Amino acid sequence: MRRRHTLLLGSAVLLAVAVVWPNRAHLAAFPDIIGAYSAKEYCSCRYVSGNPADYCQAYIEQYIPIDRLRDEPASRKVTAFGLGRTHSAAWLGPREGCRLLAEGEAPPAS
Amino acid sequence: MSAMAFPVRALLTCLAVAVLAAGQAVAESWPGREWARQPVVPSAALAAFEAYAFPPRDEVERRGVRSDAVVAIRDGVLVYERYAAPTTEATPHLLWSISKSLLACLLGSAYGEGRFRLDDPAARYYPPLAAHPELRLRHLLNWTSGLAWEEDYEYAPLTSSVLAMLYTRGRKDMAGFAAQHAAGVAPGTRFSYSSGDSILLAATLKGMLVAGQYADYPWRALFEPLGITSAVWERDAAGTFVGASYAYMNARDLARVGLLMLRDGRWGERRLLPADWVAFNRAPVPGYRPRPEGLVPGGHWWLNLPLEGAPQPWPDVPADAFAALGHWGQALYVLPAERLVIVRFADDRDPSYRHNDFLRLARAAFVSGEAP
Repeated sequence: MRRRHTLLLGSAVLLAVAVVWPNRAHLAAFPDIIGAYSAKEYCSCRYVSGNPADYCQAYIEQYIPIDRLRDEPASRKVTAFGLGRTHSAAWLGPREGCRLLAEGEAPPAS
Repeated sequence: MSAMAFPVRALLTCLAVAVLAAGQAVAESWPGREWARQPVVPSAALAAFEAYAFPPRDEVERRGVRSDAVVAIRDGVLVYERYAAPTTEATPHLLWSISKSLLACLLGSAYGEGRFRLDDPAARYYPPLAAHPELRLRHLLNWTSGLAWEEDYEYAPLTSSVLAMLYTRGRKDMAGFAAQHAAGVAPGTRFSYSSGDSILLAATLKGMLVAGQYADYPWRALFEPLGITSAVWERDAAGTFVGASYAYMNARDLARVGLLMLRDGRWGERRLLPADWVAFNRAPVPGYRPRPEGLVPGGHWWLNLPLEGAPQPWPDVPADAFAALGHWGQALYVLPAERLVIVRFADDRDPSYRHNDFLRLARAAFVSGEAP
């Protein structure tokens, strides 16, 4: 019994070392993808293509859901909350469309 | 000038004017602010085409063919268009990777202005590539940079370079992120479709232009001459056009790009892209070995060429056809043999849509005298 546990633990550690360690940069970035994707693609769907809000909500839906999306039509800023991360995108102009904002970056006043 | 010479010259001038006028009369239709229209006559072939392209739309499971827009242009005249809500004729639709071929048109314009040669090192125009001195612009255009880039995002989201570029580690400076990738193989030796190569091209364009020209260049070089008014091209925080993914325009406007390519880079009286540039776009990547699925890559465009030992990728479409293709079913098809341009926008979330089937039915519907 003890031996089996050791084996199991050993395998888990080995797996962690073999898979997780070489991919640590990718793994760390992964939770950000879904939030950033949602904020950016919703912003462009809504404010570049001019599609209705409910359509854009459905359009950005993925297998991994985000917790919440905040759309601020006055500033055309979209913020996605999910997997413990927050990402915002904002509409910058008629030719520039939307862009993801850096953390704490305010959308330029229009 | 002798007395005899004058009537001869006048005669020749008259002749030249007459020939030009006759040429204009038979000739090419070009769109002005709007496309000239001649809607195709309803037929069984058209009904079959529409049944394929616009089946009842599955909004719940998002299965099957989900076209947002189709515009067909024959001989420079709009013969068909249809939209699925909420997309309309005015909607600037996301082009995804069609943006790459659009970017190639921008570079074609810069090429015509003598701003670079295909064999120039990419680092000359984008210094962060200094670690890759053998990397030439032609390699980026052929997607043969050799950089160790991971394009897959559907099945390998964890290690996808594209997702990292667009949404996480690369998003502030996408070209800088791409340039940091190590060399996997020598440039020019292996085709590997890469959004990284495309974003690097978008960055080299900045280096080809005088400071301050870059932001307006797509409009000045391409959109305004073509009469495209709906275009949006998003940039990253470093100001680089997201040349791999984020251009938008409506279907009628994208068809103008198709007509430009159909007519070898000419737009009315103007030549926007040199003929040898379009020939490069339409030449297969040197040394490319045919793969079972998909078109043959060219110079940032896709070709229906039957390469040695391989069948024609789209068997029911002429071999001189070429296309710009994007995620979720976006397509700009150019069929020179039939003087046909077709734009298709879509939101296909599964692989049921087949380009070959769509085009077979489209040809039957839009090219007169053809059996379905």
